[in-house]
Amino acid sequence: MRAFVYDRPDAVDEAVASVAADPQAAFLAGGTTQLDLMKDGVWTPDRLVDISRLPLRGILVESQQLKVGALTTMEQLAAEPVVAQRLTFVREALLAGATVQLRNMATIGGNLLQRTRCRYFRDPTVAACNRRSPDSGCAAVDGVARMHAVLGVDERCIALHASDVAVPLLAVEASVLVSGPSGQRRIPLSEFWVRADEGPSIENVLGHGDLITEIDVPLLPQGWRSGYLKVRDRASYEFALTSAAVAVQMDGDMIADIRIGLGGVGSVPWRAREAEEMLRGTHVDPVRFEQAGRATMASAFTVPGTAFKVDLAVRTLSRQLITMTEATR
Amino acid sequence: MKTTRSTAPAPTAQDEYTVDVFTVVNGAPVQWRVDTRTTLLEALRDSSGLTGTKRGCDQGACGACTVHVDGARVVSCLMLAAQVDGRQVTTVEGLIDEEGRLHPLQEAFVRHDAFQCGFCTPGQLMSAVCLLREGRAGSDAEIREYMSGNLCRCGAYDNIVAAVREAAGGGA
Amino acid sequence: MTATKPDLGTWVGKGIDRVDGPHKVTGTAPYASDVTLPGMVHAVVVTSTVGAGTITKIDTSALLTLPGVRAVFTHENFPRLNPSPDVLFGEAPTAPLQDGRITFHGQEVALVVADTSQEATEAARLIEITYAAEAPLLDPAAGQPEPLPLSPDTSRGDTEAGWAAADVRIGATYRTPENTNNPLGLMGCVAAWDGDHLEIHDTTQGTIALRKTLAAMFGVPESGVRVRVPYLGGGFGAGLNQWPYKLLAAGAARELGRPVKLMLTRPQMFRLVGHRPDTEQQVRLGATRDGTLTMIEHRATVLSSIDFLAVGLITSGTGHLYACPNVATVERTVRLNRRYPTSMRAPGEAEGNWAIETAMDELAYELGMDPLELRLRNLATDLDPASGKPWSSNGVIECCRVGAELFGWSRRDPRPSSMREGDLLLGWGMAAAGFFAYLPMSQARVTVYADGTAAVRSAATDIGTGTYTVITQLAADLLGLHPQQVDCRLGDSDMPASAQSGGSGLASSLSNAVIDAVSHLQGELLTLAGADSPLHGLGPDDVVCRDGALCRRDDPSVRVPIADLLAGQGLVEMSGDGRLRPPDAAAAGMVHAGAYGARFVEVAIDPMIGRLRVRRVVSVTDGGRILNRKLARSQILGATVGGIGQALFEDTLTDPGTGRVANGTFGDYLVAVSADVPDVEVVFVGEPDRYTPSGTKGIGEIGLVGVAAAIGNAVHHATGRRMRDLPITVDQLMM
Ligand SMILES: Cc1cc2nc3c(=O)[nH]c(=O)nc-3n(C[C@H](O)[C@H](O)[C@H](O)COP(=O)(O)OP(=O)(O)OC[C@H]3O[C@@H](n4cnc5c(N)ncnc54)[C@H](O)[C@@H]3O)c2cc1C
Ligand code: SF4
Ligand code: FES
Ligand code: FES
Repeated sequence: MRAFVYDRPDAVDEAVASVAADPQAAFLAGGTTQLDLMKDGVWTPDRLVDISRLPLRGILVESQQLKVGALTTMEQLAAEPVVAQRLTFVREALLAGATVQLRNMATIGGNLLQRTRCRYFRDPTVAACNRRSPDSGCAAVDGVARMHAVLGVDERCIALHASDVAVPLLAVEASVLVSGPSGQRRIPLSEFWVRADEGPSIENVLGHGDLITEIDVPLLPQGWRSGYLKVRDRASYEFALTSAAVAVQMDGDMIADIRIGLGGVGSVPWRAREAEEMLRGTHVDPVRFEQAGRATMASAFTVPGTAFKVDLAVRTLSRQLITMTEATR
Repeated sequence: MKTTRSTAPAPTAQDEYTVDVFTVVNGAPVQWRVDTRTTLLEALRDSSGLTGTKRGCDQGACGACTVHVDGARVVSCLMLAAQVDGRQVTTVEGLIDEEGRLHPLQEAFVRHDAFQCGFCTPGQLMSAVCLLREGRAGSDAEIREYMSGNLCRCGAYDNIVAAVREAAGGGA
Repeated sequence: MTATKPDLGTWVGKGIDRVDGPHKVTGTAPYASDVTLPGMVHAVVVTSTVGAGTITKIDTSALLTLPGVRAVFTHENFPRLNPSPDVLFGEAPTAPLQDGRITFHGQEVALVVADTSQEATEAARLIEITYAAEAPLLDPAAGQPEPLPLSPDTSRGDTEAGWAAADVRIGATYRTPENTNNPLGLMGCVAAWDGDHLEIHDTTQGTIALRKTLAAMFGVPESGVRVRVPYLGGGFGAGLNQWPYKLLAAGAARELGRPVKLMLTRPQMFRLVGHRPDTEQQVRLGATRDGTLTMIEHRATVLSSIDFLAVGLITSGTGHLYACPNVATVERTVRLNRRYPTSMRAPGEAEGNWAIETAMDELAYELGMDPLELRLRNLATDLDPASGKPWSSNGVIECCRVGAELFGWSRRDPRPSSMREGDLLLGWGMAAAGFFAYLPMSQARVTVYADGTAAVRSAATDIGTGTYTVITQLAADLLGLHPQQVDCRLGDSDMPASAQSGGSGLASSLSNAVIDAVSHLQGELLTLAGADSPLHGLGPDDVVCRDGALCRRDDPSVRVPIADLLAGQGLVEMSGDGRLRPPDAAAAGMVHAGAYGARFVEVAIDPMIGRLRVRRVVSVTDGGRILNRKLARSQILGATVGGIGQALFEDTLTDPGTGRVANGTFGDYLVAVSADVPDVEVVFVGEPDRYTPSGTKGIGEIGLVGVAAAIGNAVHHATGRRMRDLPITVDQLMM
């Protein structure tokens, strides 16, 4: 790592001010993305502002939603009983991500802000990476791509947003609370990330010095079921090839309401709205499930190494829809 | 995991790029004056000479460097030494008791031949100690899932599971 | 060869706990990475960012002004080294930093030395190197095929006649990708000079080969070079060669007059310490209706780097496993701008077996015959089919039968996709396996002390295979002591020379050296027995050591305490040196057999999402005399995990344009984790091998051989899809 000044302010506004004042400063939460990138030499801040001891840790359970402190770790959120009951797919996505060691360190705020795992992005000796250095090209498009995205991408960048938990959080319409140099604001996750095909070098709408303080997660209403299916090569400890977060409210064998998020496929966590619309108010029908999946994947941009993901994502979604609608049939 | 005290004193720096860290390692107070970029792994190995904690990747991906911070297992290669200021760290050297007797899991590892080259072993042990505490040794499948953050290239997994299963049954 | 068969059986074979276990579980076992010396500085290797060409300019001036930086070595200022000597298994790739030539992406181009590794790492990023880059040669089809010294072409009978005579024929192409050894311990060393004396703490699997290389290349006497490896964080072959990093560290340490520590990073482990190279193999098999093989043809191409050849051995087992009159093997390599290849656990056999045992399964299906039955019909158990001479032992049929029984193979419905469990498709597959016999030279010294304890010393390494433990057990039996009274020290080239731990040869080689050493020790002790001693006039093999006394072998009650023998001459200890004494194979009239095995696997496949899980493995091995049941089982377990990785995950990818490793981290290159592995049933069959007194065979590698093919065959059984390219991944399994 390049030398940096280490700063550990006691209050949110100090932390924001500290980063805002120094264009070369960065926040440090659990460090599992930040320090990794610094070791790789991809990101070389002169100042690290350690926010890990700010009083932003913990979960407040309200009747309709959870207020999750941004520094709550993945393990802490997974252990919250209300999450198991009312946000099953959030718990499953958390526990399917990384390892216990990493989940003890990784914060929810940091998870939403994790950077792509694209190996070309993470190797500064590779010149061509539009995400790392604008207008330099994209080594992955002609290179080895498997853990890359097929939605929200084009030939300028096929970087995947590899978060698991972000997928159900997006599906359930969570939002983040941000304290920044110009005050507080709330950003729905649906407006939080920027797709690679809308500009490969910008990943989200946060400005320099913006600090996520809280994630507000609506609870699924009583009677909803949800689950997260993650498909990967290894049985554990691997990013998703594809994943599906599905929450349904059934009415007999009819899908009264539904939320779908897809992981492993998008440059941003992917909400499958077309699929939701195609399925809402319909009877359980695997053929229709597949059509809904195909419709979602219709706009895929693939390279040889990622072409299989289109079919796999359709199957992953279909399987998860079958599982989620089965018990109530 | 315990919540941390946000009131812990900020490290008093020698110069901008140096940090003083006051921590407790294996029950004994320790003070490190280190380069800010020093990881917990480096501080343990290089500043405290606790070389039981191993480096297998330095990228958070192998688990060899697993230690406990405030009782929770973490990978020490992706944590700054400065981040454990005011916290409690336990390493493999802290598993034996005051009389130098092995922890039941250490004994079970030897008995079940739960290692070959031994390089992943300190990390496996630190993970396994927490796994028992987390109550995740209910079945072999559960042990395997929650031990999957510790690679063993020698492939001792079946024996590690057996050792953990035994230690769990023994109420360790 | 020792005349008398040793008495083994009190400790040998017992599953005692690993003697180094307490060190390993307490974190006190010292690995090279744990060594710190006074005045030590840290070196970091800088690697090339082009795949071929030459360095035209290298600017290090900015680095030298940075805090802590001591030196930067490039081809312009690194000491010139002598040519690498020939050492079996351990030839050095070209000496580093001798010229500005680049032969692969990620090659060593400079060394930065600083007070701390962080300072060295950060400084290394700032080095400015200009290359005259050339397009790297990466396409095997564009390369020039050449033969491999260790894998000569073989031929017996007439394969074309065998093809013509066959009722059923199959022919297909099989591929195995580059796999990276990736021992968990990062490789590296600490090198320190004292005048012309060099001491190096390293991660080699063979201390003596490294000593020879260092002495020759630095032009110093071999007697002055000491290599120490008491513990090693695994090797799997990556520690067999004299990699350039060792020469870099030793060279820098000499120039700077300080100890230098150089540890590779995980990404560098993918580039600088070898890998299992990619193969493409064509197999043709012919058989008569009743399943008798009429011909085997096995052609393999394996990839090499420009200056350093692959080991090969892909086809060398092919002519020996099955009794077939017509066999031809052809093996070629192609030099490309690729990183150094090396041996990786079960080198050659792991790749060759994938092709042959998959082809055998294909043949069984063409014949409409049970795959097990086809094996049993053709396996050569009595005579080596290549030489026509008897094997020193061969339990491959027993492996197959015992494995089939334990697995319940007879309940298998052979039709693809016929066995189901809910939505899951079940597949049962099997493969036979062999691993070549290899018996390199080793020496050992056995010492007894006046207090009744004993020591064994050898330069051999214990890379996790259990050498410390099995040698302790063996010496305990030979000396009539409890293992706790035997101290085994290894991993130091100042001790009696030994072979590397590699090729599954060490346990056999070293155990026979220990047997020989004890015989010599007994002879030495007898020289202390005066005319009045009841042992006077006996020969070394007429006596045995028991409980600290030298006894008549035929009447152990006639005994003289070793302490008395020693005291009589004012001695406090006595040693015997021994070495492997290989029998004259021709005189013995037999062919030295390696280990054998049979693997039976059940997979469950979720065809909708292509998810495969290995649910059951029965692994049966003929390993000759088993020195320690517990540790032997661990070797097979570990190798099975390696085989699962080979089958399903491991695949080192190369960027098409540059030759760069595309997935060189543990996050991107997948090895099996605990959740991927089922409970493996490990069984040993067979008898002590007749070739050497110890009766042992190497078992460190055989356990991997056949696992991938058994999995691939199980996938075919589950899905009807034939897997010919590894690894087998989700995208191939969606149905
Ligand atoms: C080996 C490995 C495997 C992994 N596997 C998975 C997986 O399977 N699934 C998965 O989902 N993830 C996985 N991850 C990613 C991991 O979940 C993220 O690295 C982690 O969640 C990031 O959280 P953190 O607290 O460590 O963030 P940090 O690394 O501290 O920060 C990440 C980024 O966000 C910024 N930041 C952090 N918190 C805030 C805040 N509150 N406000 C503003 N900015 C902030 C930081 O400046 C930094 O840029 C893996 C990571 C590793 C190393
Ligand atoms: S995919 Fe995106 S992050 Fe990866 S190399 Fe291309 S531009 Fe960079
Ligand atoms: S060294 Fe920390 S996880 Fe590998
Ligand atoms: S014992 Fe060698 S890596 Fe686990």
